[in-house]
Amino acid sequence: MPAKRHAASTTSAATPSTPTPLSSGPTTLKTNASPAEIAVHVWHQYTATTSQRTLLLDAFMVFLVLVGGLQFLYCVLAGNYPFNAFLSGFSAAVGQFVLTASLRMQTSDSGSTAAKSNPKGKTASTEDSEQGTGISHERAFADFIFGSLILHFFCINFIN
Amino acid sequence: MKWCLSLLLCCFLAAVNALSSSGSRLLVVLDESTEKSAYSTLWSDLEGRGYDLSFESPKSDSLSLFEHGERAYDHLLILPPKSKGLGPNLTPKNVLDFLDKDGNIILALSGKSSTSSAISSLLLEVDIHLSNDRSAVVVDHFNYDTVSATEKHDVLLLNRPGPLRPDVKSLFDGEGVLALPRVAPQTLGNTSPLISPVLRAPETAYAYNPKEEIPAADDIEATGSQLNIVSALQSRNSARLTILGSVEALEDKWFSATVKTPGGKKTTTANREFAKQLTAWTFKETGVLKVGKIEHHLATNGEVSVDDLNPKIYRIKNETFFSIEMSEYAYDKWVPFEVPAGDELQLEFTMLSPFHRLALQPTGKTETSTVFSAQFVTPDQHGIFSFRVNYKRPFLTNIEEKHEVTVRHFAHDEYPRSWAISGGWVWIAGLWSVIGGFLAFVVVWLYSAPVADKLKKTQ
Repeated sequence: MPAKRHAASTTSAATPSTPTPLSSGPTTLKTNASPAEIAVHVWHQYTATTSQRTLLLDAFMVFLVLVGGLQFLYCVLAGNYPFNAFLSGFSAAVGQFVLTASLRMQTSDSGSTAAKSNPKGKTASTEDSEQGTGISHERAFADFIFGSLILHFFCINFIN
Repeated sequence: MKWCLSLLLCCFLAAVNALSSSGSRLLVVLDESTEKSAYSTLWSDLEGRGYDLSFESPKSDSLSLFEHGERAYDHLLILPPKSKGLGPNLTPKNVLDFLDKDGNIILALSGKSSTSSAISSLLLEVDIHLSNDRSAVVVDHFNYDTVSATEKHDVLLLNRPGPLRPDVKSLFDGEGVLALPRVAPQTLGNTSPLISPVLRAPETAYAYNPKEEIPAADDIEATGSQLNIVSALQSRNSARLTILGSVEALEDKWFSATVKTPGGKKTTTANREFAKQLTAWTFKETGVLKVGKIEHHLATNGEVSVDDLNPKIYRIKNETFFSIEMSEYAYDKWVPFEVPAGDELQLEFTMLSPFHRLALQPTGKTETSTVFSAQFVTPDQHGIFSFRVNYKRPFLTNIEEKHEVTVRHFAHDEYPRSWAISGGWVWIAGLWSVIGGFLAFVVVWLYSAPVADKLKKTQ
């Protein structure tokens, strides 16, 4: 995660909870930090260093996990009749999660490459970010929408 | 011409109506024609009910039960011959062939002389047994006629038989006392479901051979109500064979004899009425069932159109209605059949084994028939099913109806939609929340895009 830390150093200047903001990066943990401290630290790091789109992606994925989990729990508790409804409802959540995860991989990956390229080329253009995976954010997002629409089409048909 | 024909048909129908349900040609096998006069009331009774009687001696060469391979007579009444055996034309095989071809037989026995081995072996074929020496007579020291058998106690006085079981229609009951002189007893085998007793000896009766001086107590095979005085066989094709242990009971003398039980008062016998019931049952004037219209269709509230009647195909879980019309023959006409109390007419919906076995309830009645019906839901199993009505009871002709139908599974558009099933609402909500979340996500994503770019640019 050193690359991310570097990238976040630029945006995390306003983070209030960071006790000793350093110019080179955020706080570093002591070697004998307690688990709670580590968790709090990780959370602060996460909120401080993640881009807004990635945060949005993560929030959506959490939502999908909740929806999928609830549906599975209901199936376990109340039985699986009608089974096709369970299958399509549950697989819609799972499939959407997979697609969102793919989008996250394609977009946040390029974020880190952009961060890497920042010190070098100083240009954060989309052409730069294409160097990472060879796929632009727009292309990745279009693929995501296309895949999602197909998934929804099948699920709505299957749920009858 | 047409008018003439219909008149002829009417006359013919009228003639048929007064008869047994299975023909009127009755052959009486008598030993000597001198014996014939002793039963004149029986003959006139039978003729009065529409039978064409022909009399033959068992020795006669012209006697043949078959003509061109078909039955020459519809019914057969065999009186016990004095000589040995029934002759070459009435071998056990011939008689059984006659039974196989739907002929009905009354076989009368007598305890006066020993029964021939031919008859004994004929009865063995149908699992009815005579006593070992074939010359036993039933005596009863409590139910004998004090007028005619003060010494020998071999004229039994019995009440008319009630129903065989509580759930069987009683066809031989009635008021009065039967006088049964010199009965040759029969015992019934345990294995055959086709034979049933009509009249049993009372519990105090026993059988012994009068030719032996002292009845040997140690070789008694059956006593009391194990001995049958009248027993009946109804074969699988509903042909009937009745064995009457006492031929003398049919004589004119006993039709109107005055008898007196020990300690009772004098009465006249009911033999004539019983003989009528016995011959009527054997010659298929009573206890004959007929199936009329059979209908099945999908259960609906209103009328069923002809197109929807008796469809070849049903779907699983269809609400189905089945009805069957049944008549019973009563001497000269068809009357509505009534199931005895404690018994049920049942409908089976079977594929190899019954998936449903339902009681058919009487729901309607016409002049000649009762309509029984049942309503049920076809099982959740597709395949070739059949509606079966299998009604086999003692003294009633066998009913076995089988109507095949196909039961198909749901067509793809016949399943209930997900939203019609409340259990699926959670998953539907889950699916739509995923789609709604996706749309919201797309909107926020697009909205947040320039901000992210600006952020990156401001570095």
